[in-house]
Amino acid sequence: MLFWQRTVPLLITFVFGLALALQYYVPHPASESFLQEVSLWNQIIAGFAIVLGVGSLLSNHYLKIKRQEAGWGYSAVLFVSLFTVFGAGLWAEGKAAGTFFGWLYEYVLVALQGTMFSLLAFFVASAAYRAFRARTLEATVLLSAAVLVMAGRVPLGEYVLPGVGYISDWIMNVPNTAAQRGILIGVSLGGIATSIKIIFGIERAYLGGSHNDGA
Amino acid sequence: MTVREFALRVLQLDRRFIFVLMSLVTLLPLLYPLGLPVRVSPEAYNIYDTLEHLPERSVLLVSLDFDPASKPELYPMAVSLLRHAFARNLRVVTLTLWPAGTSMAESAVIQFAEEAGKKDGTDYVFLGYGPGEANAIISMGQSLTDAFPTDYAGRKTDTLPVLAGVRSLRDIDYAISLSAGFPGLDTWYVYGKEKYGFELGGGCTAVSAPKFYPFLQTGQINGLLGGLRGAAEYETLLNQAGKATAGMDAQSATHFLIIGLIVVCNVCSVLSGRRRGRL
Repeated sequence: MLFWQRTVPLLITFVFGLALALQYYVPHPASESFLQEVSLWNQIIAGFAIVLGVGSLLSNHYLKIKRQEAGWGYSAVLFVSLFTVFGAGLWAEGKAAGTFFGWLYEYVLVALQGTMFSLLAFFVASAAYRAFRARTLEATVLLSAAVLVMAGRVPLGEYVLPGVGYISDWIMNVPNTAAQRGILIGVSLGGIATSIKIIFGIERAYLGGSHNDGA
Repeated sequence: MTVREFALRVLQLDRRFIFVLMSLVTLLPLLYPLGLPVRVSPEAYNIYDTLEHLPERSVLLVSLDFDPASKPELYPMAVSLLRHAFARNLRVVTLTLWPAGTSMAESAVIQFAEEAGKKDGTDYVFLGYGPGEANAIISMGQSLTDAFPTDYAGRKTDTLPVLAGVRSLRDIDYAISLSAGFPGLDTWYVYGKEKYGFELGGGCTAVSAPKFYPFLQTGQINGLLGGLRGAAEYETLLNQAGKATAGMDAQSATHFLIIGLIVVCNVCSVLSGRRRGRL
């Protein structure tokens, strides 16, 4: 059993991880064709992953309803919403124009997502009022930069404080870019290190709980 | 009441008061616009300039990688870019990497193509949702017709005149990703531009714009529209004031409200002698 549960997945990861890393540097038609095939496989697997995800979501919420846990009503709403949209989508054959599926998209999903996103503005304003204090030198620098960028990114700021737009551009192009580049290089190096650990079987968390003992 | 007591009371301001203020400063400029001019940034101009210099019938790929949550910021960009592309008589290939954005992307493409009198399948095509995130881009890089054997309307892509001579991403003249996160603009340059060598520009929400500046400087993307401001800049370049330009007044007012709140809370913090903030 250990062979199928641990050795085979590790072997597949090793072979495909190494092959795809090397593939990038080999422009031969056979190598390109291999990449194409693997990409299509990945797309198919991603499709099945959605089925798995929906299955897991439904099973979780079904248990909540069955046990009448706190907030089980929301789980019922999830069931009703999911099957209504799924049924409407199937009925309309995935087409939105002039269908109930399209109506649900336009007048329920768009409105709900728009509302959720716009609420951010209110919470950002409240949080800024309560937390954005110049308590240290670093916090003061951060606060000053934020105020200058906020003023410089809107026409009213450029009208009231001429030149603030160019200061805002400088902050974005110089200190921001330098910091972002540092973060990006750090994240990329971390990504490479993690990939190498996964390819060589040092990092095995993706195999599941009981297989981490050897990591 | 002493100054210190007053400052303490102001610091303990009910958050509902801030919410009401925020509602007012958002609504009033929408009802009574100021119409202040929008300065165009070089990164927005570069996208406009690239489209201006593409020969007629060049292939422009627009990936609408967002869902309705980001519609206020990114949809106006899509509107301006599509209008510009159709006015320049480019062949426009559109798709989305976000499943929840499919209907929105389709209706935008059809609406503005019909407005410009363009023919579906000849002047433009909507390929639909490309599953698999980065894999969709890699597949398109290898073979566009394998990645999308049919378009969203169910027609075979290898017979569509709009895709004549377009075998893969290598044959795209310019690509633009309007991105609200992952997969989006960064996915397009890592898995698309770097490997298949097409020119890439992008649009993104204001909150994610700072992370793309390093890629602007290195030329990995040649232009960027950042948030509602970026969309308003493009509307200014096209001389077609739309929803983004209208929204800039509301954004001006909300930014100044937040700046004002920060100033008030810091002044009161000093006057009250309280140095520790809380959320």
